[in-house]
Amino acid sequence: MTMEAIPPIGGEVAAPVASNRARRGPVRKLLTGDRQALVGAVVLALFVAIAIAAPLLSPYSPTAKVGAVYGRPSSAHWLGLDDGGIDMLTILIWGARVSLLVGFAASFMAMLIGGTVGILAGYMGGKTDTVLMRITDYFLVIPDVPLMIVVAAIWGQSLFNIVVIIAVIYWTSTARLLRAQVKSVREQVYVKRARSLGAGNARLIIKHVLPQVTPLLIANTVLTVATAIFAETYIAFLGLGDPSQVSWGKLIQNSLTGGAIFSDAWWAIVPPGICVTLVILACTMVGQSMEDAMNPRLKVGHLSVHRFRLRALPREPGGT
Amino acid sequence: MRGADYLIKRTGAALLTVFVAITLNFILFRAVPGNAITALRCLHCTKQFKAALEKELGLDKPMLQQYTIYLGNLAQGDLGTSLVDRRPVWQNLKTPILNTLPMLAVATIVSVVIGVAAGVMSAWRRGTRVDRINTWTALSFYAMPTQWIGLMIVFYVALRFGFPVAGIRDPALGILEEPSTWTVINDRIRHLILPALTLGIGLYGEYALIVRSSMLETLGEDYVLTARAKGLKNLRIVYRHGLRNAMLPLVTLIALSFGYILAGAIVIEEVFSYPGIGLATIDAIDRRDYPVLQGAFLLLTLTVIFFNFVADLLYFKLDPRVTA
Amino acid sequence: MPESTLQIEDLHVWFELDGGELHAVQGVSFALERGERMGLVGESGCGKTTTILAMMGLLPANASVAGSVFLNGEDILKDGERSVAPHRWKDIAMVFQGAMNAFNPVKRVGDQIAEPMELHGTARGRAAKDRVGDLLELVGIPGSRADRFPHEFSGGMRQRAAIAMSLACGPKVLLADEPTTALDVMVQAQILELLTGLTDELGLALVFVTHDLPVVAQTCGRAAVMYAGRIAEEGATADLYHDARHPYTRLLFSATPDLHGKEKIISIPGAPPRLDRAITGCPFQPRCDRAFAPCPTIAPRTVSVAERHVAACHLNEVPAERLGGAGATGAR
Repeated sequence: MTMEAIPPIGGEVAAPVASNRARRGPVRKLLTGDRQALVGAVVLALFVAIAIAAPLLSPYSPTAKVGAVYGRPSSAHWLGLDDGGIDMLTILIWGARVSLLVGFAASFMAMLIGGTVGILAGYMGGKTDTVLMRITDYFLVIPDVPLMIVVAAIWGQSLFNIVVIIAVIYWTSTARLLRAQVKSVREQVYVKRARSLGAGNARLIIKHVLPQVTPLLIANTVLTVATAIFAETYIAFLGLGDPSQVSWGKLIQNSLTGGAIFSDAWWAIVPPGICVTLVILACTMVGQSMEDAMNPRLKVGHLSVHRFRLRALPREPGGT
Repeated sequence: MRGADYLIKRTGAALLTVFVAITLNFILFRAVPGNAITALRCLHCTKQFKAALEKELGLDKPMLQQYTIYLGNLAQGDLGTSLVDRRPVWQNLKTPILNTLPMLAVATIVSVVIGVAAGVMSAWRRGTRVDRINTWTALSFYAMPTQWIGLMIVFYVALRFGFPVAGIRDPALGILEEPSTWTVINDRIRHLILPALTLGIGLYGEYALIVRSSMLETLGEDYVLTARAKGLKNLRIVYRHGLRNAMLPLVTLIALSFGYILAGAIVIEEVFSYPGIGLATIDAIDRRDYPVLQGAFLLLTLTVIFFNFVADLLYFKLDPRVTA
Repeated sequence: MPESTLQIEDLHVWFELDGGELHAVQGVSFALERGERMGLVGESGCGKTTTILAMMGLLPANASVAGSVFLNGEDILKDGERSVAPHRWKDIAMVFQGAMNAFNPVKRVGDQIAEPMELHGTARGRAAKDRVGDLLELVGIPGSRADRFPHEFSGGMRQRAAIAMSLACGPKVLLADEPTTALDVMVQAQILELLTGLTDELGLALVFVTHDLPVVAQTCGRAAVMYAGRIAEEGATADLYHDARHPYTRLLFSATPDLHGKEKIISIPGAPPRLDRAITGCPFQPRCDRAFAPCPTIAPRTVSVAERHVAACHLNEVPAERLGGAGATGAR
């Protein structure tokens, strides 16, 4: 269920001669016009802003019954009412808070765990590496979804637990990625170590390793946010989420249990799913672009439907 | 035989993982706060009843002893007894499993066929509008929560076009007269097709993207240029050199993404009220029927481990470069 | 002049890029007869690989081509892909750089060698299998190896197999793109010996792309030096060594360690010009040690300086009074 499985999207035909532009760092690339990343970042920022400004933006209270069950959309209620008579738009906005909070928190925690494990394993090597990787492998092997279901069934019911559960299940890919990156960086670090005599391991890690792996870590974290939101939606749908909090996932579940389908209430079914999809897409666009910036794939395709063209000889010999 | 030792090593690893999974299963369920019995909700569960049940299920014994008993039972195929209907867990799960299997099979076939077609088409027409539309469509479906896709399909397709949206059989069948085999099969298919298609749509996105990427990678390989230099026509190159090499990752991906397939099946069955293993799991959760949940978890986990194992073997068989 | 086996006339290749257009090959011409080996040398990016790829029409979709490639008198580039495709492998074949990947890793080597045979009607079935065995023996690989996979071959053996594969349909022209780069010296020598022997025995015309000058000196009777997409000088290798008529050639060849001496790399300061904009004057002029009045503004023409020896340098058009005295060409 991870978003890391998505391969790069960009399909540019590569230039036979390498570009003279300096390779841009991923954050710079984000800001300087990789359209895909920009769009994704804007969408994400928009949702985050909405989530933060929820109390200001929502037209009604998220708990107040303001009308009939599954009231139709009107000028007073743009997205109608849900199965409790609550304004749909309001609850959608407040739902953003929960979903995004879980997504970011779980992803951040996964990054902490995975990052620490990966960096330690990659930097220390030897026994530490082997042990850490064994643990990682065992985590990987237990299928994530059944585990998540069972653990949520046992320990769920609170937002914090959900965040922890998601983080604990999804930290492994971050760990592996970072370990590989750190290993390749380590060689350079040892050179520097010879120079900065006396600097302890911790200092070296922080000063030299961290800067090199941070971009990758951030890219991976963004992608994990997508996974985390997806996971939260899933858990909520199974009724294992925090019953006191309304997330987009819960809204989707409500639409099933509340009978929105048979009440012909599209406004209760469609919007939450669209929100989730948009946020996940946005995270994917941003995270993927960042990863692409670090590993540009400039392979020329040897086959094409189109063929090379013929052209007239230039008039001046030896010139264009 | 090439790699007999590889086979042995992988089997050993798989068995070890199975053991870890079983143990984990045991630990998880014994770690329930309080214990399963105290959380049990039923109409006539007095204190004495619960205490007697506890004793009967052996929950008052020390942990290690419970573990040994658990392992012993498993070896005999005893997955425990349901707390709700007091039948063996296996009885509760057998039919659901049989119901889920054909749906899963159809869903996987649908998703693979669409995924491969979309991926190859995208890679072939890289950079064109077809490619972009394809890629973004695949991405979008990949990003959509599977249950939401299900709900949308039920809402916009099933009801409009008169597809059944619940169960696996028409309850009216067989009341007035004995239905023919053909009618039964037809009925089953009608109930199965939408959940399977929906699940397939939810899954195809990942495959399409992987196939596209893999195909692009393959088409950029030197041996493709060599094939072109040898005078092979494009289509022939794609078929003989491209597909074979690009499909390698896909085959293992399918096996490895079995967990994801199962996850999707669970929610789809909930949406369509399709009585498969997914719905059984959810019901067990709702009713806090821990033995059944435990049994379901074990079966799901073992299946996924099995398919991972198959993936290992497949890759080994298909790619001559992989050595033990 | 008799019809040459291979004759390139005024070959141009452009690549369409995001920012504009790259003129990668700018009017390359040369001729080669059967049994001759020509080294195509130059710095990275000078267009030598693109040139030979263009000869077989193996260009990507963003490329456009002008000029002619005559194979025994027939212009195979006349109708683009359509006219060049039938000749691939049958009349002109290629040994690629890095034979590591020239082979499909999941197919057996023998099958890959036989593949073009069936396509071009050279041999089928049993006959093809026999021919594969013969070809492998020809390059010094036991015929039984045909059933193995590419990763089971060593680097040198894979290169031999690639050579065998290139001969599958009996071409008259063989193009080799850096076939010995990334091989160790011993193996390199063996491959060179193999190529030399084969071209003699089979009467092939060989175009040998490389940036390794000693190899050219050792193996090729003729050589062409490319710079910025053009041919700076072309002629017999001995002539290029002893009577270089282009400063670039002279500098290149003087940087070459001689067979008994120690290696000393004399690099030419500066870098080749960008090929995505038009160049006025001589492309080598900024780095040239003999540049004079016409060089920055007038592009030099390719003139014949001796029998089958051409150069594109203004120095060759200055009559009698050679600047810098006799031997301005830096003969040793």
